[in-house]
Amino acid sequence: MTVVVVVVFVGAYILIATERIHRVAAALGGAAAMVVLGVVDAQVAFFSEETGVDWNVIFLLVGMMIIVSVLKQTGVFEFVAIWAAKRSRGRPFTVMVLLVVITAVASALLDNVTTVLLIAPVTLLVCDRLNVPPVPFLLAEVMASNIGGTATLIGDPPNIIIASRADLSFNDFLVNLAPIVVVEMIVFIGLCRVLFRSAFHYDEQRVAEVMELDEKEMVRDRGLLLRSGLVMLGVFAGFVGHSALHIEPSLVALLGAGVLVAVSDLEPEEFLEEVEWPTLVFFIGLFIMVGALVEVGIIESLGEVVTDAVGDQYFLAASVLLWGSALLSGIVDNIPYVATVAPLVQDLVATGDGAPQARALWWALALGADLGGNATAVGASANVVIIGIAARNGHPISFWTFTKYGLVVAFTTVLLAWPYLWLRYYAFA
Amino acid sequence: VRARDLAEPFPIVDLDTDAFDAARQMAERRSPGLVVGDEDGKPYTVLPGSQVLNFLIPEYIQKDTRLARALSEKASDELCHRLTTMTVRDMVPRPQDADDLPVVDGDATAIEMAAVMARVRSPLVAVVEDGRVQGVVTVSRLLDHLLDPHSSKTS
Repeated sequence: MTVVVVVVFVGAYILIATERIHRVAAALGGAAAMVVLGVVDAQVAFFSEETGVDWNVIFLLVGMMIIVSVLKQTGVFEFVAIWAAKRSRGRPFTVMVLLVVITAVASALLDNVTTVLLIAPVTLLVCDRLNVPPVPFLLAEVMASNIGGTATLIGDPPNIIIASRADLSFNDFLVNLAPIVVVEMIVFIGLCRVLFRSAFHYDEQRVAEVMELDEKEMVRDRGLLLRSGLVMLGVFAGFVGHSALHIEPSLVALLGAGVLVAVSDLEPEEFLEEVEWPTLVFFIGLFIMVGALVEVGIIESLGEVVTDAVGDQYFLAASVLLWGSALLSGIVDNIPYVATVAPLVQDLVATGDGAPQARALWWALALGADLGGNATAVGASANVVIIGIAARNGHPISFWTFTKYGLVVAFTTVLLAWPYLWLRYYAFA
Repeated sequence: VRARDLAEPFPIVDLDTDAFDAARQMAERRSPGLVVGDEDGKPYTVLPGSQVLNFLIPEYIQKDTRLARALSEKASDELCHRLTTMTVRDMVPRPQDADDLPVVDGDATAIEMAAVMARVRSPLVAVVEDGRVQGVVTVSRLLDHLLDPHSSKTS
């Protein structure tokens, strides 16, 4: 039976990675096969904390998607982006820096895909006005989104999975990942100056065109903006204090979503607009497939092998995890990768009896998977989204164009994360 | 009534007509679209006004119409100015199958014309006899006829 389960799992994984069929169909098909094989029943799939669907992850995503749907209606993203372009007085590099910083911060607080969906149109508008090529700006933004999302528990789906599996708090992510993400962003901005240098053509006449844009027109309902802002402050306070308040981040997000919906007076189709049902179903299918591996004991056996191999060489394990995760996340979507590897890392960390050296493996996994997503056009969902937007607006970005820049950025950011892990968790621990 | 009875004279533009001139013709005639002919003067396709707007307005503004409000009059003029550097060929959709052309023969009935317009979502149909365009029937002229209680719809 174990062999059959592995074959089904690997088969579904190959279908997800190669996109021969839609990834949701592949994940659901894999989950259904596990049920037919008799490995998974309702108890295993829905109610077990070890093997079942991680409802904290699902409902955290649902809550954040509803929050984003409401925020989108306020026009705040467009307002901030145009305001930033005007503050930069039309200097292309300054425009890029401000947009990149806005994207990174928004990605840390919301999700990457929505952030780039909201920031890309206004970027195209600003680039049109400045008469500069938009592709470098879009590339810089999507890469900043993947870097910025690394900083928080809610910033990137792999982090949500890791947090739930490892019982890590919002503040744990903030304290352990945000410092290196700030450094990464500073270096990334320097990289943008070099990588996209040919895009920074300054035309004084065009600056006037940017200065004529009216950002105030972006906010149609100031009351909604104010109410949403207040609720969001409460949501982030809830995230920061969720450990002390003994309330899961998923409940904070759901409560925030509920309050936002109540104060927004929006119709269901509006406040559910950004809820990506295919993504949620994909997660459910993945959790059931991985749960089947746990149920038949494969993860435990693999965990024993890995634990024996690692012994107490945690820095070596962190290094392998960091670089291996970055490499694999560049090739396949980082969500299924992290969903599969997380139980293994859990076993590995458990042998360390709570030692910081062992717990740092979670940060190695998060950094590798999140930053590795920048390597290729298919490394992260946000990359695929930005390439689609660019193509529809007459600015195609080929796989290799993306990868040419993405590899440099992914390699540099992972390289920076490596000594960070060593210095913080091993050299002086 | 038959298509030839409702057909009105209509200019045909070709694929190399300046896009700005074509749009100008459409505006001056208050027309919902233009017939585009090929080298032999046969109908190639219909260029609906909505396609001209689709071409004028970047996709990112169509998706996020809020952004349109940020544009000044000067910026709007600049968007329209794009037409001066293009031809009709740049604006028309990909060549279609013959079945997808909004073309009827002179004997077509009002309901037949309506069916063709509805199927290919065209604001007008070209009426062709002996391989030549005899004129066009616009959606407003057709509706005017169809909704007239005294008219006969099928003959």
